[in-house]
Amino acid sequence: MNQPMIVFDEVSKFYGEVLGVNHVSLNIPPGITSLVGPNGSGKTTLMNLMTGLIHPDDGSIRMRGLSPRDPEDLMRITGYATQYDASPRWATGFSFITTGLLLFGFGRADAEQKAWAALKKLGLAEAAHRKMAAYSKGMRQRVRLAQAIAHDPDILILDEPLNGLDPLVRAETIALFHSWAAQGRHVVLSSHVLQEVDMISDQVVLISNGMIVAEGKIRNVRAEIKEHPSQFIIRCRDASRVAALLFHEDQVTEVRLNEDRLGLLVMTRDREQFARAISHIALEGYGVDTVIPADENVDALYEYLIGEGR
Amino acid sequence: MAVYKRGYQRYQGPKSTHWTRFMVLPRFGWQRIFQQRLVVLLIVVSMIWPLLCAIFIYVSNHADLLKGLGPQFRSFIEVTGSFFIAFMTFQSSLAVVLAAITGPGLIAPDVANNALPLYFSRPLTRSDYALGRLVTLFGLLSLVTWIPGLALFGMQVAMASPEWVRVNWRFGFGIVAGFALWILLVSLVAMASSAYARVKAVSGGLVLGFFFILSGLSGMINGIYRVTWGNALSPTWATSRIWYALLKVDPNTPRMEGPGVMPCALVLLSIMLLLVWVIERKLRPVEVIA
Repeated sequence: MNQPMIVFDEVSKFYGEVLGVNHVSLNIPPGITSLVGPNGSGKTTLMNLMTGLIHPDDGSIRMRGLSPRDPEDLMRITGYATQYDASPRWATGFSFITTGLLLFGFGRADAEQKAWAALKKLGLAEAAHRKMAAYSKGMRQRVRLAQAIAHDPDILILDEPLNGLDPLVRAETIALFHSWAAQGRHVVLSSHVLQEVDMISDQVVLISNGMIVAEGKIRNVRAEIKEHPSQFIIRCRDASRVAALLFHEDQVTEVRLNEDRLGLLVMTRDREQFARAISHIALEGYGVDTVIPADENVDALYEYLIGEGR
Repeated sequence: MAVYKRGYQRYQGPKSTHWTRFMVLPRFGWQRIFQQRLVVLLIVVSMIWPLLCAIFIYVSNHADLLKGLGPQFRSFIEVTGSFFIAFMTFQSSLAVVLAAITGPGLIAPDVANNALPLYFSRPLTRSDYALGRLVTLFGLLSLVTWIPGLALFGMQVAMASPEWVRVNWRFGFGIVAGFALWILLVSLVAMASSAYARVKAVSGGLVLGFFFILSGLSGMINGIYRVTWGNALSPTWATSRIWYALLKVDPNTPRMEGPGVMPCALVLLSIMLLLVWVIERKLRPVEVIA
């Protein structure tokens, strides 16, 4: 079955002599995709390209089959929350969202009903008729999200959407992203909080200096990084014995024994061979309780692919 | 189950057309503008001169009130093209002040707060946005310019003899076209300074400065080179020159000495194109500082 994709084909964007993004090719399937990279790496440029706010100097973009050069159609299926707190202080949350919906072409009654629904989803119903000047930072952030989801878009593009949210609202917002993605829609977001990206994302796009460093599911991306041995944490009854057995494996480069002698940190060059080896050891009765990948997360990918190159 | 196999139903109901959608901007713009007391006060003040002109028209059309007055005075209070020029000149100054107060609030806050992406991530183009802002100012300035002007003309038509109407019917068109030209110029100046300056007070100052500085510059050129063509560089003078032509008023007065209609029209067109260029350059959803 053909999935509606976000497709970047050899896209380059320069701001005069300043590089925005260079030769970017991406195929983003539905689900939650996180753009990860240092400041100025090109994340916001990618988002602006997706929404047609800027156009590529080279290459082409298709957003679920639509061109960003056609805002009339694209913006009906796209919701964008920028990183800027641009909501007008004099407006109420409700009038701000309703006005946005009127610009989408909804009738007054539909717009008001959708604005209510969006504000309720973001837990802002009680504050709906208060001026945004009286909103806290977190509330203004939620209004930004509400205006992006209010017209029920197929593609949500969110620049730093979790900034300023308290833990409870953060969890609710993440749940909202998951429910959105579970309906076959695209949620593309950027975040600096890598642990959060890990938790949220179906796939990641790592970007540095305007170029894509890696893209795909975190596990697959990690598997591609051959120059850094994979790390695993093993909890077992007889850690010293397991360590001795693992030293006989060619692909194991390092084993560190935990102080409590019930755990090991193992580094291996070949994840599959290691998996086979540890399965054998487990079956031989050494009391292996858990085997957890220690660097199969965005934090590690960021460190390996971007951090070292900086 | 793969995520893409699940479905959801999007809104399938009716949508308003592109043209009605962009009118959302002026509608909310006017709402905001009329919340400012200073604006309401200025509009009220702007009605004083049209009211005096209405009294003038009434008196000039009631011969019984003029009994006993000399023929010289009677000819002075005749409603002619010069009368409407005087009306337009005064109202146009008020329009500039009104634009200087309201114009900066239209674009400057959006640019300063990075709010333009909010608009452009709707089915709304940059042209729609600019047009929406232009319509906001056009509607507002109409209240103090061609609407009272046309009302005065209508009053005169209702009171004057058929002969006056036959000879002067073009005044109605002249008032609307002349004011439309002025409103367009003033609105573009207000929008360009609002997009350029970002700070509202500075932007308002730029609007007033634009007209004062260019008028002063044209006066300086005339004085230094002992010419009159410098007048064409003053948007106020150039527009007045076109008004004289539209209302068929004789421009052979010391104040109107200078270039003809065509050079003035060309200068105004160039200024407007320049202003459109500034607006086009500044109304970008993404600003890049290289």
